[in-house]
Amino acid sequence: MIRFSNLSLKNKIFFSTLGVILMISAVIALLARGILVSSLTSELELRGVAIAHSIAERGGGYILDKKYPELLSLVFDEATLGERQHLITYIFVLSKDEEVLCHTFTTPFPENLDKVNPVAEGGYKSVRLIDFGKSSAYDIAVPIKEGLYRIGTVHVGLSKVHIDKLVTTLRITFLGFISFVVVIIFLISHRLAKYITSPIAKLTQVSDELSRGNFDISLDMLSSDSGWDASECPVYHNTDFPCWHFDQAMFKNDRDLTSTQDSQQCRNCHFYIKRAGDEVVQLADSFRNMVWSIKLYRRRLRESEEKYKSMFDSGPDPILVISCVDFRILDVNPRVSELYGYSRDELIGAEFLLLGPESNVECIKAFEEYGGPSGCIYYPKILHHKKGGSAVYVNMHACPITYKSSPSMIVAIADITEIIEKDAQLVQAAKMKSLGEMSAGVAHEVNQPLNAIKMGSEFLALMAEHGRDVPAHQLSEVANEVSTQVDRAAEIINALRAFGRMADFKVDKIDINAPLRSVLTLVTRQFELKNIIFEVDLTEGLPHIVAQDNRLQQVFFNLVNNARDAISEKREKSGLNTEEHIKISTYGKDREVCVRVSDSGVGITEEVRNKIFEPFFSTKEVGYGMGLGLAITYGIVRDYKGRVDIESDVGKGATFVISFPVASSEA
Amino acid sequence: MSKILVIDDEKATLSMFKMLLSVYGHEVLTAENGEVGIELFAAEKPDLVMTDIKMPGMDGLQVLGKIKAMSPDAEVIVITGHGDMELAIKALNLDATDFLNKPVKREDLEKALQLSAERKAFVTDKQDEVQIDIEGDIAVINVMGSLTSKSDVSLNNVFDKAFSSGCHDLILVFQEKSSINGGGMDTLVESIEKARDHKCKVHIAGLSDNFQSVFESMGISSMASMSETEDEARSKVQAS
Repeated sequence: MIRFSNLSLKNKIFFSTLGVILMISAVIALLARGILVSSLTSELELRGVAIAHSIAERGGGYILDKKYPELLSLVFDEATLGERQHLITYIFVLSKDEEVLCHTFTTPFPENLDKVNPVAEGGYKSVRLIDFGKSSAYDIAVPIKEGLYRIGTVHVGLSKVHIDKLVTTLRITFLGFISFVVVIIFLISHRLAKYITSPIAKLTQVSDELSRGNFDISLDMLSSDSGWDASECPVYHNTDFPCWHFDQAMFKNDRDLTSTQDSQQCRNCHFYIKRAGDEVVQLADSFRNMVWSIKLYRRRLRESEEKYKSMFDSGPDPILVISCVDFRILDVNPRVSELYGYSRDELIGAEFLLLGPESNVECIKAFEEYGGPSGCIYYPKILHHKKGGSAVYVNMHACPITYKSSPSMIVAIADITEIIEKDAQLVQAAKMKSLGEMSAGVAHEVNQPLNAIKMGSEFLALMAEHGRDVPAHQLSEVANEVSTQVDRAAEIINALRAFGRMADFKVDKIDINAPLRSVLTLVTRQFELKNIIFEVDLTEGLPHIVAQDNRLQQVFFNLVNNARDAISEKREKSGLNTEEHIKISTYGKDREVCVRVSDSGVGITEEVRNKIFEPFFSTKEVGYGMGLGLAITYGIVRDYKGRVDIESDVGKGATFVISFPVASSEA
Repeated sequence: MSKILVIDDEKATLSMFKMLLSVYGHEVLTAENGEVGIELFAAEKPDLVMTDIKMPGMDGLQVLGKIKAMSPDAEVIVITGHGDMELAIKALNLDATDFLNKPVKREDLEKALQLSAERKAFVTDKQDEVQIDIEGDIAVINVMGSLTSKSDVSLNNVFDKAFSSGCHDLILVFQEKSSINGGGMDTLVESIEKARDHKCKVHIAGLSDNFQSVFESMGISSMASMSETEDEARSKVQAS
């Protein structure tokens, strides 16, 4: 069977047709031989029997009369009549007593011939093949009867040679005919097989071409005789042309059926109409349509590839492709070289950690986990290094993709160094503005120790002028007080200086209470003068957080200022200068360190709450406050991976809870 | 020897005040906040109250208001931050005797103490508060006592006298013992405006530095010329 299945289709058709015809021929031949030869033989026998009966009928009288010469001539007449001479080898007549009365042999009567084929008593005839000498014959013996009595026997010998000759002729004729038929069928089936299989062979050839990527030749070959011209299809020149045939598959997927009406269909579609014809023609047309479709999709794919390739190359932001197997760089666009200063050759194959030895570890960790992340991960404001080590701040998006059939990530980078610098300048400007706002209060604050010092020195001067001795306890009191007050003034100046200093980007592990205390040093008294009392409850020994002291001061300063403004607003509305409180507490909770600042001010309405962190949003009158305080607060808190939660009851005050993650111990 | 109550939220300031004022021979009472101060005032009836303006809780102005409500003739000196003129004017409007700038200078303190002592004497003497001398084109008004809201009648009288004399220049001389409070200042401003209507130039002389700066911040100096002494004012008149 395997050998058979390996045959080409053409041979299969050819051989199977041929085989069937040969089998039919053989059956016909066998049937013909059986029927023809046996009926010919029996017909000849019947003729022999008829001759024998004729002789027996007419010769009976001669036997009774014993007119043997007449009998002999009768016998001869019968034997030589017409064509019978070829058929009949001999005729002889036996008497009742088995004596040869006459015979047609020209040679002496063969011995024992008269004895070989006796007719049984009461038998009608007897046929037997007898062999005499060189030849053999069918001996037909018929009894001669006179009434009920048997008076003799006629033997007619039919020539076997003659019969065989007739049979042979018949056979040859028949075989010849069958052979002729077989030859005709052979030719026909050969042509037929070839006719059926040649288009398939052509399709196979075309398929081979297609698999080698030669689409142009294939279309020409397929369309050679159908009046088909690829360039007549509008889609050929414009692959964005929304052809229903062409885009059918796509539309079915993501749109409902009615929307397919949107896409066009040429009135006389040149390509997707099949010619009338047999299955092979239909197959060829289907095949051609398929090739046409594939070709157009390849064009689309190529165009899309070119589009995305050009986007990759000419996009304004650096993009890298990183293998998730060993976290080496697989591909980069030219912007990467521009930003980092490495050449493309240096980058490809280099480790991803090269660009950010500290900051990329987290990203790699995220992708190392089994299956990786399900979507993009965003890393804002992280530190990368250029060639030569200079720092650059970037926002980084890392998305999982499959690149050359292995898990990878595509990393899009935005250089935000300039933004960060601007941001820092903005923060600094806001801080300076805050300092300006504070100046009156701070001046008052510094004036207090100065006043004490001044009065102390005036006292000493007065005593000196009057020539009086200063009692020792008063002298030491003045000296102590002066020293204490100088320290106090110095502390205020230090706090001011620390607050006013431009923050750099370095982060430390710090105790969240430290910046809070610095801010409280500056503002507590001023707030108290406005009848706003701080209730401070700081938890000692909190885990450290990763942040920067100076920038957190800015955060807390903005928060307490906001609380103060909320209280002032409430007082303006009510017209009462009641004692108000700002409660500040720090505590740890679930691997987080939180600062809670609540005031008893006007509170925040729901609509304001949604906008509260927007830059330049302010509920204050135009000219009071830039609306940057909370935006800056939010930005700084987010930089340290923190979170700002707001709880508020309108009219009863607002609470800001700022939470930072606890610094990991190994970092 | 007088009894002085000092109210300030700064302990250091209080102890220094105590030492310094003791040298001048005063008895000093101290209070760390307004409430305690008012209680002490009610209990001890001090001759003079010195109060800081900026204090948590009840501030100096409230203290001043309460004390004036309890005893309108009480002498109250307020202590302000340096250059905080707005608060000083507010305090003067509430009938404060004087104000002291922080850091407190000895001379200022002495002057203020003196002023309050003189004022007290003045009130008891019931002297004429203002006098007028017509010297041809020049009218000279001498302010001897305290100018308060109560002195508007006499002030109006002397100004009317001056206008009726048809003088061109008006010299307002504050004598050493004189003082002026918020109510007096309002009357003075009205009179000076009237003088402008009469095409009469006003010259003010003899004011202490403190009051000069108060007049300046109230805009009086733009309506009248300010001089240190009477002679200076006269020479200005002759020059014009």
